[in-house]
Amino acid sequence: MSNLWDVLTGNSESLSSKLLLHAASLVVVACMFGVIVFVVETRRAEQRENDSNIQKYLSLHDVDFGDPVDRSIFRESLGVFLPNQSERNDSLLLAIDDLRQRQFSDPAYKSGSQLQGLTLEKIGEIVGMYVQFLGVYLVVLVVLFVSAERIGLYMFVKTKQHRASYLSQFVEGARQLRYRGKLEKRWIVARRLSLLLLKALGKGAVLAILFSPAYVIAYAVRTSFDTSTLVFMAFLGVVSNGVLIQTANRFFTLLVAESHKGYVQTAVVKGLSDSYEWDTPRGIPRSALFNVRRGIRSHVFQHIFLNARFQFIPALKEYASFLVTGLIIIEMALNIQGHLCYELLQQILYRQYDVACFIVFGIFFTVKATEVGVDIWHEREKKRYGY
Amino acid sequence: MSDLRYDIHIASDERELVAIQDFRLAESSITVLFGESGIGKSLSALAIAGLLDRDQLDIRLNGREYRDYLRSVELADLRKNGFFVFQEPSSHLNPLMTLRSQLREGALTKVSDEEGIVRRLWRHSPSSHVNEILSVYPKPYRPSGGEKQRILAAMAFKKMSTTPASAKGALFIFDEPTGNLDNQLRDEFLDLLVENFRSRHCTVLLITHDYSMISRFTTSYADLAHKIYYKELGLERGRLQLREFLPSAYLGWVKAQKAHALAERGESTLMKLQPNVRIFGRALKVTRHPAGRKPEPLSMAKGSLVYLKAPSGVGKTTLVKIMMGLLQAEELSMVLEGVEYTQRTLRQVWSTHVWGRQMAMVFQHADEALNQNARVKDVFAGLPLKTPMNEAAITRTLSQLFDDELDREFLRKPVKYLSGGQKQRLNLLRSMVLDTDILILDEPLNGLDFQSSVKVLANVEDKLRRGKSVLVISHNEEIFDALTMPEDVYYLHEIT
Amino acid sequence: MVIDSAVNRTRLRRIADGSDARWLMVWIAGLLVLWIWDAIFLNAPAFDAVQTSFLNSLATGIMVVVMALFFGWVIGVGLHLLERSEARVLYDIASFAVDILRSVPQIIVVLIGYVLLTLLLHEGTIRSTAGQLVWIAFAIAVAVSLEVSDTVRERINHFRTLDFVDAMLSCGISETRIVNVEILWKNSRSHLLYKLIAIFGMSVFLQCSIDFIVSVGLSTDVSLMNFPVTLGSLLANVDSKQDILAISNLFTDPGYISVILVRHLQGISVAFCIVFTLLCVYMIANGFVRRHRLV
Repeated sequence: MSNLWDVLTGNSESLSSKLLLHAASLVVVACMFGVIVFVVETRRAEQRENDSNIQKYLSLHDVDFGDPVDRSIFRESLGVFLPNQSERNDSLLLAIDDLRQRQFSDPAYKSGSQLQGLTLEKIGEIVGMYVQFLGVYLVVLVVLFVSAERIGLYMFVKTKQHRASYLSQFVEGARQLRYRGKLEKRWIVARRLSLLLLKALGKGAVLAILFSPAYVIAYAVRTSFDTSTLVFMAFLGVVSNGVLIQTANRFFTLLVAESHKGYVQTAVVKGLSDSYEWDTPRGIPRSALFNVRRGIRSHVFQHIFLNARFQFIPALKEYASFLVTGLIIIEMALNIQGHLCYELLQQILYRQYDVACFIVFGIFFTVKATEVGVDIWHEREKKRYGY
Repeated sequence: MSDLRYDIHIASDERELVAIQDFRLAESSITVLFGESGIGKSLSALAIAGLLDRDQLDIRLNGREYRDYLRSVELADLRKNGFFVFQEPSSHLNPLMTLRSQLREGALTKVSDEEGIVRRLWRHSPSSHVNEILSVYPKPYRPSGGEKQRILAAMAFKKMSTTPASAKGALFIFDEPTGNLDNQLRDEFLDLLVENFRSRHCTVLLITHDYSMISRFTTSYADLAHKIYYKELGLERGRLQLREFLPSAYLGWVKAQKAHALAERGESTLMKLQPNVRIFGRALKVTRHPAGRKPEPLSMAKGSLVYLKAPSGVGKTTLVKIMMGLLQAEELSMVLEGVEYTQRTLRQVWSTHVWGRQMAMVFQHADEALNQNARVKDVFAGLPLKTPMNEAAITRTLSQLFDDELDREFLRKPVKYLSGGQKQRLNLLRSMVLDTDILILDEPLNGLDFQSSVKVLANVEDKLRRGKSVLVISHNEEIFDALTMPEDVYYLHEIT
Repeated sequence: MVIDSAVNRTRLRRIADGSDARWLMVWIAGLLVLWIWDAIFLNAPAFDAVQTSFLNSLATGIMVVVMALFFGWVIGVGLHLLERSEARVLYDIASFAVDILRSVPQIIVVLIGYVLLTLLLHEGTIRSTAGQLVWIAFAIAVAVSLEVSDTVRERINHFRTLDFVDAMLSCGISETRIVNVEILWKNSRSHLLYKLIAIFGMSVFLQCSIDFIVSVGLSTDVSLMNFPVTLGSLLANVDSKQDILAISNLFTDPGYISVILVRHLQGISVAFCIVFTLLCVYMIANGFVRRHRLV
């Protein structure tokens, strides 16, 4: 019994316990949303019934409830036909006022979608949007993982080369410029310095783009490009909101941490190379950035990469939630009609909380499915290494 | 024969770590290097081998910047013909490669005598077990510390066997290579080392805290006496010096211990542990004989020094943690000062009655056991004493094991700035000051130099005289066999 | 001599030499330059709006950091103590609930917080600007505090795998002291501070994003009419959006940069504030990690 409890609560480390835990989370959240939907639907049904009872009074042709005289006559008439029920009659008048108010101001009434809620048609519509959202999400996830790995690798190798940044090299070079003798030499150095400055500015611009929120980039290029396409959305999903740089930085951090570990020293002592110069006999070929396993032989980097990657896979679970946040921001902020997250915003506006819950559950399911996928992938990797 | 000579300066951002002039190693000899833990032996050795991280440290070797040394011919020769066996085997093996593939990587790819070397180091295990070990990945299988250490040693011996005799740069550095090995395996290691040394005439630097190696070298390799040097790295007038260590100082002291019986032991039993204990699905039993079949309860009487022995990895530390209630066993029966403790005893009971009150324990790694970011005086904060210790009381306590190191600033010094030996002494004092009836010491002489070890043992002796009982786990068998009564030696076995 | 210079550097000098301190100065300098530029070229009402929005966003960010630290510490330590207690079932339920919350995208949690805020505004429970900012900070802190609690638990578990905890327990030191003082206060301040720097950046990002979204998409009842002005809501303002749209003129006319920096200043200033702050926070966090050798 205690073993079963351990499996159910994730105290066991096995894949089956993790999957059970994910399934349990989905069930619990589904139940929570189910309760919310039920409550909202029940209230909506009650409201519908009340409103239809009250609508009869609003349909009276000779009564203008906006006119105080008509209202007064109506109130007196109620007193005549339903004597000794003044509280009920007052409540009725208040209910009529409330319905009139809602018909005037509530967007759900104004748009004509009032009180429909989570119908089958609506579900079908949302499922279609969800499939589209999922497609973009999967593309972004794969591109993000591959790009982050490559960028992280590049950052790691550059760090190990111990070269100063472009800006530092520019500052140092500028200081020494006045000590260069002939004009021609100064001109050569100045040209080199200009190139360095351009590289530094370029790097700064790239960083600025990578850290920009999606809506800033989208609005900046809106008049030149169509920002409502799926391709552009996927591009924004990868490049903006700082997701790419944070994920790459995470992999870079893992590589650095692994490079300080003892087994790297053992590998050096066994004669493996620890030089990180590009394209030298004992260094790292640039092509290895795209295929580490085949590209590098007899180098400690093989060890470092293997271990860092093994730890990077479960870290993807953290970034799934962050990535979904980014896509939600993109869809909502760019007002792309017919997209899932914009629809979520609209449903909140129209107070269709049951529909909103359904969409949120879909988003939650996406994150959970990613976690399940990552757990299965990590489990396969663990089996490869005898776990 | 010439000497290899180094001037070594190593500093971090915050302070100087090593500053030694004239660090000498006799070529084609074995240098056994002693010294307190943290004094700079490993750092110096790593610097010489070109293995320190220049991003984090400021290093100069023989007056040169470290990056120049890393490009030197001298280092290239050392890397080509030498080897380094690291102190901490757990982190020095790649968790995602099998042990066999790590044994055959890089310069070790083509070595014919791998099987012979491995068989020698696993002489007492069946060959099926050896094959199994070599096929595993270090992380999930978790070979014992001793097994990992043997893998690293095997790598070194493989390299040694292919190094041409008297090759340039053939420097083999072994940093605490036998810390996790029992005496039998340690002797096997030394035999292999000496055999390779005789045939290759390489230079060997053997860093160790195991003074009993002196006995082994003296008795088994007397013909190599002119090729074995004993040195000690220590502080003299505030400066780090490499000085000669006289083997007779240790041998004489041990001999004196043999002749000296310890204090009267009382008959009153403080603690009795039933011999069968179960944890993590493993069954352990305690006996009085090394190959004993008959389980016997472990008793600790007043004034007794109990010595618990077992090969590395069996579970000595696990057993004492169970006795302390730090690990919950699946089966346990123990009577401590008249009260019974079993696997069902609540944690709250251990916390309220046992920890720091009836029993205390000193863990083997002072670096882990102490808060490195605390000050020396903070180490004594939070202890369950009748009155909290003020600075005067702390100074009096420290003076038991610290002499000329005690100055005004010592109490305010962060623990991380102490040497390994100082940390270990502080680690011991924190538990000793509680003056519990029972004290458990796990490798108490870890990281201590000879002088400090003598002081610690004197303190232990004092406790025994006052009627306290001490249980010891230690690989310093020569020392503790001399100090323990035969009836107080116990052996731990795993029941398979 | 190299060794002497390394050893003799004072603590203050070591901090000043670190890239985290440099980037902090770059951030402050950059904002100062922007402030001066806007004071010269931006009209007074817009200048006031930019200033107010920045200060509101900054205040909210700071409140998020404080609240997240508190919630994260309490959740992290609470879960640890529950795990070690005899009430195992309570721990299992609590950690299950935390796992569910972790899988909900942060923006959704914050959006729910904003929806609740509008209800509180309708009911008159919250009236003042300060009150609204506190609630917004609370909503964001709930979304991000799990990052802090994960750090707290990671640090506690790291020391549990060592002899650290057992050695102190065996000396009779209480577990509460070990966890709160010895592990978290004395050994994890740098790790927590690093996490809080990252959380400040996250808070700015989430706040700006949600304010932008709510301004754009929820324009009637559930709206920001009564919400305090922040960088995100100011960016969603029609004038600012026009300014951002003008950037695309640069693709066809690079000389237009001079016009953008003078005429389209409100939107550019707000966008610059957001992007520059996020970039600097990232660099400060990285520098902090390097200086404290957290990796």
